[in-house]
Amino acid sequence: MTDSAPNELEIASREVVFQAARDFTAALAETPQFKAFEDAAEHLHRDEAARRALDAYQSKQQSLQAVLMLNAASEADRAELQRLHAAVVSQPSVAAYVQAQADLMSVCQSVADMLSQAIGLNVAAVCGSGCC
Amino acid sequence: MNTPLEPTLPSYLSLATEALIENLLAAEPIVAYHRAQILFQVDAPARALIDRLSAAQADVRQMQSRREVAQADIDQLRALQGEAQANRVIVDYMQTQQAAIGFLREINREISELLGVDFASLAKRPGCC
Repeated sequence: MTDSAPNELEIASREVVFQAARDFTAALAETPQFKAFEDAAEHLHRDEAARRALDAYQSKQQSLQAVLMLNAASEADRAELQRLHAAVVSQPSVAAYVQAQADLMSVCQSVADMLSQAIGLNVAAVCGSGCC
Repeated sequence: MNTPLEPTLPSYLSLATEALIENLLAAEPIVAYHRAQILFQVDAPARALIDRLSAAQADVRQMQSRREVAQADIDQLRALQGEAQANRVIVDYMQTQQAAIGFLREINREISELLGVDFASLAKRPGCC
């Protein structure tokens, strides 16, 4: 908590609120889940076999993007894409990254729920760049 | 991938989250939004107007999908929109809500830049839209 937390009659200055956000970030970065996520990302980055599998899958997916959107890909193309996807997810560093990301997401969702409930706005939805 | 259970947050993270909440609740854009929200909630005519506007928008959308929308329906919707745009309580509520959202986005940007990953994207629950 910041030293100059406001009482009910005060408006918190912008700097005080941003400092609280930075303190919150430091605490989040200290969690085992964030550290595991960073380690998994680093490990994945250094894993050439995993990166090659990922590149091959993404390249095939991009080349098929138009026909996939039209639901017009051939059986052979679909099977190849599925094989490449299986090759990606079978990489231990990919599986570890996906699990670490899911664990970190769970922590972030819990704290965002606390923020949303207190503020009365869905913090993740209004700040996210997704479909909302 | 194992689906994680709701995690028990470490005490230092709970404390930091509570401090952030306390400060956000005292931040000018959030205070202004909550004040405007209360004024809107106690203003029965304003709430009734928003209910009528929402119902009219839903009706017109339905009629449009059936290609049955009449000029009178559009005129009625525009009249209600004009009434809402002229209502001080409603306008304040909408404007302060947008300002609060803008402020939360700035806070998210600060957190995300420090973390190196977008916090809101990680925090978004599937199907929240």
